[in-house]
Formats: sequence, structure tokens, C-alpha cells
Amino acid sequence: MTSLPSCNASSRFREEASLLVVTNQRTSRMALSPDTRKRLITAALVAPASAWLFVFLVLPFIAIVVFSFGERAPEGGYQAAFTFAQFANLGSRAAAFKNTLVLAPIGSFVCLLVAYPVAYYLAVKVSPQYRLLLVSLVVVPFWTSLLVRTYAWMYILGARGIPHLLEFVGIENVRLLNTPGAVLLGIVYGYLPLMIMPIYVSLEKLDRRLLEASADLGARPLSTFFGITLPLSLPGVMTGVALVTILLLGEYLIPQLLGGGKVFFIGNALVDLFLQSRNWPFGSAIAVTLVVVVVIVLLVAMRIAWRVAGTRQVDLV
Amino acid sequence: MRGLVTAVYLFLYTPIALVVLFSFNAGRNASDFTGFSTQWYGKALSNTFLMEALQNSLIIALTSAALAAIFGTMAALGMERLGAKTRAVFDGLFAAAIVVPGVVIGIATLVALVEVFGFINPALAAIWPGNQPPKLTLGYGSIIAAHGLFTMALVTMIVKARIASLGRDIVEASSDLYATPLTTFRQIVLPQILPSILAGFLLAFTFSFDDFIIAFFVAGSNTTLPIYVFASIRRGVTPEINAIATMVLIASLALILIARFLMRERTTTT
Amino acid sequence: MSKDYKDNLPISANGFMDEFMRLKRGSVSRRHFLGITGLGLATAVMSRFPGALSTPAYAGEDLGTQMSIATWPNYHDPATFENFKAATGVAVEVNVFGSNEEMLAKLQAGASGWSLFVPTNYTISTYHKLGLIDELDLSKIVNFSQSTESPRFTKEGQIDGKTYALPKNWGTTGFSVNTSKIKAKPTSWKDFFEVAQTEADGRAMVHDYQLTTIGSALVSLGYGFNSIKPEELAKAEELLIKVKPHLFAINSDYQPAMRATDAWMTMCWTNDGAQLNRDMPELAYILGTDGGEIWTDYYAIPKDAPNKAAGYALLNYLMDPANAVKEHIANGAPTTDSRVISLLPKEITSNKIVYPDEASLTPLEFGAAITLTDPGRAELMARFKSA
Repeated sequence: MTSLPSCNASSRFREEASLLVVTNQRTSRMALSPDTRKRLITAALVAPASAWLFVFLVLPFIAIVVFSFGERAPEGGYQAAFTFAQFANLGSRAAAFKNTLVLAPIGSFVCLLVAYPVAYYLAVKVSPQYRLLLVSLVVVPFWTSLLVRTYAWMYILGARGIPHLLEFVGIENVRLLNTPGAVLLGIVYGYLPLMIMPIYVSLEKLDRRLLEASADLGARPLSTFFGITLPLSLPGVMTGVALVTILLLGEYLIPQLLGGGKVFFIGNALVDLFLQSRNWPFGSAIAVTLVVVVVIVLLVAMRIAWRVAGTRQVDLV
Repeated sequence: MRGLVTAVYLFLYTPIALVVLFSFNAGRNASDFTGFSTQWYGKALSNTFLMEALQNSLIIALTSAALAAIFGTMAALGMERLGAKTRAVFDGLFAAAIVVPGVVIGIATLVALVEVFGFINPALAAIWPGNQPPKLTLGYGSIIAAHGLFTMALVTMIVKARIASLGRDIVEASSDLYATPLTTFRQIVLPQILPSILAGFLLAFTFSFDDFIIAFFVAGSNTTLPIYVFASIRRGVTPEINAIATMVLIASLALILIARFLMRERTTTT
Repeated sequence: MSKDYKDNLPISANGFMDEFMRLKRGSVSRRHFLGITGLGLATAVMSRFPGALSTPAYAGEDLGTQMSIATWPNYHDPATFENFKAATGVAVEVNVFGSNEEMLAKLQAGASGWSLFVPTNYTISTYHKLGLIDELDLSKIVNFSQSTESPRFTKEGQIDGKTYALPKNWGTTGFSVNTSKIKAKPTSWKDFFEVAQTEADGRAMVHDYQLTTIGSALVSLGYGFNSIKPEELAKAEELLIKVKPHLFAINSDYQPAMRATDAWMTMCWTNDGAQLNRDMPELAYILGTDGGEIWTDYYAIPKDAPNKAAGYALLNYLMDPANAVKEHIANGAPTTDSRVISLLPKEITSNKIVYPDEASLTPLEFGAAITLTDPGRAELMARFKSA
């Protein structure tokens, strides 16, 4: 074959060829037309995933939506009913929603402030031979159990840790543990690697020549940063911030361990409702609301990212 | 700037260093360092329940990651061939599986399964011939099922991105050369998407192994390692936990090194 | 109390306590402790001759290799389970909970995996109503002796003449105060909540448990511990929410915080109070003069227990006074069985924390079953936690 035939011809050719193969190999089973066969294969390919998604995502979600309109059974659990009472009662967890909706974005933002310089340094300033090692060192804590790392903070912030050290300097009675600050610290610590990675990936693709050109044209480092580096790294930043914020909205462990039962996130409220106060319908209502909140945040993030990407393209043109 | 970055690295590693340090504590307390000893490693390894939790975590993580890799890749390949509307539905479902918080997945699975078992078990007991009707309960299956959602969606996303960037001409060339679709897949497509599948598998394994909140809801009477560690924190920690954490840390490090080594080899051949 | 027992001990009661405290601190090994107190020899003898412990339940019946028990924090001597494993080959997994509501939630969800668990007195009737526990087959628990048990504490385990739960120990709910950090001397729950907002600001803890936390708040306002009246609950909620910003934590696992002096005052159960006071004498255990809780904890077997044989075996083992006395020395909780009282050293029986005067017990109330299922109380606790 010296040249490839045109697209249409080759696919028709391919289909006929496969038909021939089929008829040659299985003369007893040649009832299938190429189209049906194609569809069967497609169906077979997506079947396991679809079944899994349906049985374990769609059905359970339908279950909690149904439950959210029910009533609490006398001893706890679910009782069939149809009422909006659970949704009307959402206000009783206002503090939990407030904590989550305030601390999650703040935590995300602080995480960003710490992560960006590190990602920048790794992507731009570090020589390639060390880059791989240093990036891996960032990722390794992420692979270690968040549980154990957060537990280490319980010790550091407790009376035997930093407050103990501060006593030597004369500062008495410092309370660090079980405060919103402790939870914020835990959040930043736990999600830092997850924030660094997308930003790093985005910055690594940055064409150095753009930076050089900017410098050659007389721009100072700060203008180069705000005019070129930051906008071009924005996709990575958006990914990181969206990812971390969304994960934080459902966080349970960090407020539980570092908040001492005092800093309640929506995740904590949910665990309590299902595993202690046993109010399944109300818990389901909160779970449904949480999903709605997460979807809204995601849509907003995507909108902003789209808007930013769009603006960027216009500028370049 | 270098100072700031060093500070961040210190910030990342100090707690980990503390955990490792106290795993060698001779005293019982995880807060007073009284001497050097490796006794806790011995105790951790001979603790039947800790070892069982570790084993459970490994089995669950391997199974859910493997299933996620296989079904997710199949789905990615299949979605290519779907019409735009159906594909959009799938995209939405996979996005939901990733974005919905773990706590909600745990709760929804718990609720659904308890209700379903509430129906099925009495029905089974009624029709079962013998004295011991099988009872469906929360356990391995429920954890793997719940983990698999997120991990399968992850794999599908990764493999789909890779497939999208594949050159079509090679695939066409292969079929023009009379290769069956299966051969084309095996010899052309598969090697190219294999790194992505492996990356997905690795991510899936890590997610499942480290997951606490989903297992917390649906594990039933089984214990996974994170559940055991969490319960120990409530129960009063001995350096045994530090020992097991250090061992897991070293294992993760080793795994990463191996993975990076394997990946680097593959990328150079492309 | 017979004197003969005391005369034949290889070690004096004082010596025993000294060695025990050294063991708890980690200054001596368990082998040293077992050797010097003679318990090691006793255990070796008993495990070599399982018949010495009596019960047909061990011999011959297959107990499996492991079982799970659900219990409360710091409630058992770890040696007990190790000795049980040596005697029967069954390893015991200990699951710890901080409230009966958590245990109920786990049982309601099914497949708890427990073969034995420790419910508090007020929950037993509800467990029975929900069909979650078995009636106990007393023929498998021959070490239990009804006649030596104090009916005041055992009656809630029996429903319609059938036994559903056997008493483990009784106790009280008061509060523990670090007297070297807190100059004030709180004697009532009213004092507790006041000091929590002033001198102990940021250093006080309450249980993550509706019965005791809401109950103590009610008592401090002059209401009943078990009240479910909406007006009274509303006042209690007001108090709790006012105090919450001043708390260190809401947690039923308060021992680590008290030991590390992160917390200086906490709502506390007898057993923890005794253990804390033993190791850190500046931690005093106070019973509220305006009220509080007196409780009995029981052993019960869930209906869906995976290893009932082992559950019965462990229960029978724990009912043996020889084993129970070791548990009570370790966990500092008062026993309901007069056979065990006669075996306990004087240090324990004269300890006012463990065995308070009758007078200090009069204001206390047993928990009421309705509080377990009352949605008002459950919601209050949940709202308080998320406030």
C-alpha cells in the first residue's frame, strides 16, 4: 500500500473486512450485521460501569432523597412519610453550615497562598535534576494517612506540645487545640500537597521564553508575574482551589480531631445524625443539601474558569 | 523565596517526623519520650486485630482498584462510541461520583443497603430450605462497592483524556492492514493507554487504602486500617499506632519509588 | 470480710497497689508485676487447669478464634482479655464507645459484629423492645450468682422475670477537677457550669452523651436529671449553648486531656475518676450535691452476635469473682456482687470515690429509658454540638 485511502473508503473497507473475517471464522454464526455488533460491543464495554453507577450511586441517592422527605421513627431511624419538615429544619444546623462554608474557602485560600510560591519555585527556579525529587517529596505526605498526620497535630497543639514550649519563654496558658485556628491549620496541612500539584503542573508548561521576552521588553519581575505567569497558571490554580474546596465541604476528620467536638462541619453533623442521634430523615436532608451546595460551588468554579480562559484568549489575539 | 519553601517542607514533614520518632518510644505514652525501643513494632506485628485491619485494607484496596481499572477503562473505550447525548449522561454520572463528598456516599450506601437488606434477608429466610439462610450484611462488598464509584470515575476520566490525545491515523493504519479490531486494540491502543490505566490503578489503590469516612459508615463489623487507627485515637494511643503508621509510610515511599521507576521507563519508549 | 485471705497473700495490699501503679506507669514489666504479686502463678495454674475456673461452657464447645466486645473507655484490665485468650484461645477485640446512643445506632444498622457488649441500665428495656438482645441462657453462665447481687443494681436487667442482661458494675457520674490548677471548690453542677465559664475558661469538658450532659445541665437548674419536658429542656439548652464557647472539648474520652492538663475539669464517671485520682492525686472526683447520675452497666449479648458461644464464655469468665476482682482493682468501678467486695483489698473498698457514702448518693438518679428514644433530647444534644 503506497497511500492510505480516504476516510470513508477505508472504514467501509474495514467494515467489509471485519464482516469477511467474521464469516470466515464463524460460518455458523454470521447473523450479526456490523452495526449491531458494534453496538453490542459498546454496550458490553459500558455495561459493568453503568450497572455499578446505577446500583451504587443512583439508587442510594434516590434512597436518601426519599428519606429526606420522611420522619424520624420513634427509636431512631426512618419512618415513611412525606413532609418538608426536615428541610424546614435545616436552620438548626446553621452554625455547621456557616463553619463549613466559611472555613472551607478560607482554608482553600490560605492553602493557595502557601502552595503557589512552592509550586512556582519547583517549576521555575529549581534545576530539572532536583525537580523530580522535590516534587515527590511534596507528594509523599499525601500518600501517608491523613488520620495519623492529623493526630500528630493533636500532640503538637496540645498541652505537651507548643504551649509547653511557650511556657519556657514565659507565655502561660496558651490554648491552641480545639479552636477554629487549629482546624484551619489542619486543613492547610492536609490539603497542601493536593493544591501544589495542579499549580505545579500548570506552571511547568509555562514557556520560559515568554518570561524572557517580558524581561527583555523592560518589564519588572512583578509585572511579569502578574501579567504573564499568574494568568497562564490560572487553570492550575482554579483546578487546585476547586478540588480542595469541594473536598473540604465534606470534611469530617480534621474538625473532629482538631476541633474537639466544638468546631462542627457539615460532615460532623452528618456523622452525628446517622451514628448517634439516629435521625436518618434529617440527616438525609442535610446530605442532599450538601450535594446541592457542592454542585453550585462546582458550577461557579467552572464558570469563573471559563470566563478567565475566555478573556485570556481574547487578549492573546 | 528559598527560605519560604524550606519552611513549607519542614511544616510538611515535622508531624511525620514526630510520628516516626515516637514509634521508638520506650514508654507507654505517646507523649513522653522515655527511651529508645523497637518493642512497638513487635507488638504491632503480633496484634491480631491490627494485622487483620491491615489485611482487610489491602484486600479491599486491591480489589476495588483492579475493578475500577478494568471497568473504568472499558467505560472510557465504550464512551468513545456513544452518541453525544448518552455520553453526556455518563459524563454527568462520573462527575457526580467524583464530586459528591465521601461522607454522603457513605451515608447513601448505608441507608440504601440497610433498607435493601431489610427486605431481602427476611425473604431469603422465608424461602431458604435449610436452617441457616444466608444473610446479607455490610462488609467487604459494601466497602468495595462504595470505593469503586469514586475510583472507577477517576480511572475513566484519566483514560478518556489519554484516548482523546491518541492519534487516530495509527488506529486506521492498523485496520487498513487487515488487523482485527481486537488485534488493533491489543497491539496499538492498549500499550498507549497502559500508563494512564496504571496511574489510575495506583490512585484508586491509594484512595481506597486511605479512606476513612466511607468505610466508617459501611464497613459493618469489619475493620479497615484507618478505622482501627481512628478507634485507637479514641481509645488512648500507644506507640503501636505510630509503629504501624511508620511502616505504612515506608511502604508508600517504596511504592512511589517503584511506580516512578516504572513510569519513567514507559514514557521514554513513547 | 475474712481475714484468712489477707494473711495468705504473697504481697501486702499496699505492696500490691504500689506494684500495680508502677506497672501502669510502665516502670516495671508485666512479667515482674505478675511474678511479684503471685498473680502470674495463679494465672498459670488456672490456665493449665481450666476446670479450676469451672463452667461446662469451655470444655468441648467450639468457641472460635476471635470475638468482639463493645464497651466504654478505660473500663477493663487488658490482662483480663489476655488471660481469657490463654484459657480459651479466643482473641478479644475491644471496641470503645462514648455513649449508649452510638451503640444503639450501630446495632440498629445491623452487623455490629459484637458478641458481647456493655449497655447502661436505662437502655435495656428499649433493646428488648427493638429485639436487639437475646434472653440470656443462665445455664451457660454458672459463675453468676443471683443471691449475692444487690437488687438495687440488678433489677433493670430483668424484664418480665427473664434475664436479658447481667450487671457488670455500678457507678456514678460526677466531675473531676484538677485542684492544683483550679482554686475554686465546685461542689455542685451549678458550680461546675459557673467555674467552666470563669476560672476554667477553655479548660472544661462535657460528655458527648445526651444523658449526662443534658442531665447535668437540667440538675444545675434545679430540674430532674431525666426530664423530657420541652420548657425545661429549652432552659438546659440555653445554658449549654452559653457554656459551649468556654469548653475545651465535647468528648467522652476525657482521660488523655486531663492527664496532659489540656483540660482542668471534666464531667466524669466513677471509674475514670478513680483511675485519674490514683495516678494524679491532684485530680479530685466530686459528686454534685444538686444531683447527678447513679448507674449500673450490664453485659448483654446482641441477637445477631457472630460468636455467641465465645460471648457466653467471656461473660461467664467475667462473672467469676476471681476474675472480676482483678477487673475492679484495675478499673476502679464499684461492684454489685458481694462476693467480689469480700475479695477486694481495703484500699479499694475504703476509697470514697469508688464506694461513696450513702448520703452523697441520695441526690443521684438512675437514667430513665425514655431519654434514649426521646427525639427532643437527641435533637438538643445534636444542636448543642453543632452550635
